[in-house]
Amino acid sequence: MVHIDGSKGEGGGQVLRTSLALSLVTGTPFQMVDIRAGRSKPGLLRQHLTAVKAAAAVGRAEVSGAELHSRELTFRPRGIQPGDYHFAVGTAGSSTLVLQTVLPALLSASGPSTLVLEGGTHNPAAPPFDFLSRAYLPLVRRMGPQVEASLDRPGFFPAGGGRFRVSVRPAPLSPLHLLERGEVRRRQATALIAQVPYDVARRELETVGRVLGWEESERRVEELKRSAGPGNVLSLEIESEHVTEVFTAFGERGVRAEDVARAAAEEARVYLEAGVPVGHHLCDQLLLLLALARGGSFRTLPLDGHALTQVETFAHFLDVKVSVEELDPRVRLITVG
Amino acid sequence: MAKKQARETVVLGMLGTTLDTGRGPKRWERWRPTVGLCQQEDLVVHRLELLYPPSHLELARLVAADIAQVSPETQVRLTEVDIRNPWDLEETYGALLDYAKTYPFQPEQEDYLVHITTGTHIAQISMFLLVESRQIPARLVQTSPPFGREPTGPMGGHAIIDLDLSKYDTLARRFRQEQREGLSFLKAGIDTRNAAFNRLIERIEQVASRSRAPLLLTGPTGAGKSQLARRIYQLKKTRRQVAGPFVDINCATLRGDGAMSALFGHVKGAFTGAVGERPGLLRQANGGVLFLDEIGELGADEQAMLLRALEDKRFLPVGSDREVESDFQLIAGTNRDLLVEVERGRFREDLLARINLWTFRLPALRERPEDIPPNLLYELDQASQALGTRVTMNKEAQKDFLSFATSPEARWSGNFRDLGSAVLRMATLAPGGRITREGVDEEVERLRASWTRSGPSPEAMVDLVSQVLGEERAAALDRFDRVQLAEVLVVCRRTRSLSDAGRVLFARSRAQKRSVNDADRLRKYLARFSLSWAEVSGRGAEVTAPDEPAVERAARA
Repeated sequence: MVHIDGSKGEGGGQVLRTSLALSLVTGTPFQMVDIRAGRSKPGLLRQHLTAVKAAAAVGRAEVSGAELHSRELTFRPRGIQPGDYHFAVGTAGSSTLVLQTVLPALLSASGPSTLVLEGGTHNPAAPPFDFLSRAYLPLVRRMGPQVEASLDRPGFFPAGGGRFRVSVRPAPLSPLHLLERGEVRRRQATALIAQVPYDVARRELETVGRVLGWEESERRVEELKRSAGPGNVLSLEIESEHVTEVFTAFGERGVRAEDVARAAAEEARVYLEAGVPVGHHLCDQLLLLLALARGGSFRTLPLDGHALTQVETFAHFLDVKVSVEELDPRVRLITVG
Repeated sequence: MAKKQARETVVLGMLGTTLDTGRGPKRWERWRPTVGLCQQEDLVVHRLELLYPPSHLELARLVAADIAQVSPETQVRLTEVDIRNPWDLEETYGALLDYAKTYPFQPEQEDYLVHITTGTHIAQISMFLLVESRQIPARLVQTSPPFGREPTGPMGGHAIIDLDLSKYDTLARRFRQEQREGLSFLKAGIDTRNAAFNRLIERIEQVASRSRAPLLLTGPTGAGKSQLARRIYQLKKTRRQVAGPFVDINCATLRGDGAMSALFGHVKGAFTGAVGERPGLLRQANGGVLFLDEIGELGADEQAMLLRALEDKRFLPVGSDREVESDFQLIAGTNRDLLVEVERGRFREDLLARINLWTFRLPALRERPEDIPPNLLYELDQASQALGTRVTMNKEAQKDFLSFATSPEARWSGNFRDLGSAVLRMATLAPGGRITREGVDEEVERLRASWTRSGPSPEAMVDLVSQVLGEERAAALDRFDRVQLAEVLVVCRRTRSLSDAGRVLFARSRAQKRSVNDADRLRKYLARFSLSWAEVSGRGAEVTAPDEPAVERAARA
């Protein structure tokens, strides 16, 4: 039984989800205490419970303390159960975060699985579906397992109502080395709007053009007629020779379209200027995949709190060494093994 | 680490027919309390019992569908509650109480929350009362709109209020304090001691502060009906429960053709002399309180129109073919037994049914002798104000006055009006503003005299009959005979001769010029009880007064 201090690191939510994922993969039970201590609403919130429940279903786990406001959780998996899963998450949680919690276990399960996830697919503070399908899953496939995802309909915060499907054919994860980005082949700014004025999309794309200098042909509006509620997401996809990265920002009531676009564009600019293949969000997920593969390396931006939290959490479940080398003030080399 | 199964959270709430609305995509940007409650990051609603008025089924379904989308954990159960007027406390409270009474609460398995953010204020108050009185074993949950620029989205926040917690003691104390102040206010600050009267005032305070239904105040003249009606209005006004004016009228003064127009107004040219428009008292009372004193005196047409105005809040002014609206609370006063009036066909049964939902009988002053001392002090204050000088009453004088005032001899037939007049008279005549024993003696005589003139006191009847006949024979009398005899005896005591007494007793017959020998008639009546004039006059000796000659009698008539 592993004991984890839930108040450590960047955030209770991330420590919890990473612990659940690793506990499932390794079959190691854990007890977490002081979950989200020191927060204004300490203990487990609804979105954390949905992750715990999904993980418990996939790992047929014995769970105690899975209640709202609970600061202590015990999770004891009893073997991964591949199969067909349907998780209705609602908008209090993000369905992509639920997927990230259970996917590592299903990658190494004894048989294929399918998942249907319902709820928010494009929520702030969670990776949007586009990031999963274009940046994250291609790297998973490169490491062995075959994972496909398709979006039935998006679900924006706060209405939710989105749905996507994922199919998983397991295979052992092989180490991945991603040191170079290579030549940028394609840049695509997409302003996704659903039941939101067209002008919002236009202003976002203009801002992208101004900040990043992307051409008219590299900017497009995608208007969704079919969604449960209104929403707006700006995604900047950068397809390079060896990797694809996606940066996103969410339109929000009371925030100017220009400011939304500038946030995403700034992130993309930092990434492009550093010349690295892996950005912040991808880094967090890639660290977990490489740790499970027990090998690999990549170049990325200076690690943020989330990445460091990942590495600290690995230590509870895996005997794996992660080293970080500063190559340049803006570039780090990560080696796992 | 064995933990017991957590209870499921069940929310009971009214559909917000205003706050929960919204159809297009924009509704997701609005704060909708019922939907927001199911989107809280730190609250899982396992079941929502959503109560909706019959007219809002469509909205209820949309809200339920939206909740299913954002909160798959929540089962929504729609229940129609038939509240036609959600601003009516009786109806709303009654409907919710019925719902609560039949609801299969299982507090062991389920944790109940009552959502009080939606629904009319009346519905909120009803819910609050049901929770406070434990008719619903729940805590309250209040939702609030998004605050400032939080990135929390349109679902806003929520707060759970457990009325059993000690931190709400100050709230409860304040509530009780306000209630006490309300009681004291209704009693005009008079520290009354009669338990029955205090209970009555307490009940009136409860009803007055919660209800807009008609109130009926009954009781003898001068018992304080109109003062109480005015104070009820002022209490409601201080509590911001009415915005309109207080309008009062004594229906006994509304006679003939003018009555309809005085109450319901008329249009210009409605009848001869109707040169201008007149709004009428009912319309003047819109948003306020209408006090109709002596409602039993109202004519048949006025009763019919008043009933309509109460039921529909609409009526027709005289000469108008267009209905007007007025929403007022009615307080009716009467010193008659309206049930008897209904039996006699003088008062509409349906109107009585409408106004006697809350009937309060104000007791006569005689019935609450322990309240005479505090009322004496109050009347002294009133007299001081009226005279513009401080009026006092020395101890002995107070003692003398009270000993008379609380004795069975003091009839207080005009109730508080009598008491007020007595004090005002004493105060006016008091040398240097100080009421003395002499002043009291004089006033006691005045009161005795005025009450004697206006008829016998019930106490006196009992005494006289048994005094003259003896206890045993008095007890053998039928009540019918006893009451009649008592009145005859009182007259005999007051008059100088058999003839005088006869004239008083048979005055109507005399007036109709029926040739009757009054004295003889009285003598024969008394003989039935084996009584003579000497025995009944109380003067000991036979005073022989010759019967008046018939000519003289005829001349007088």
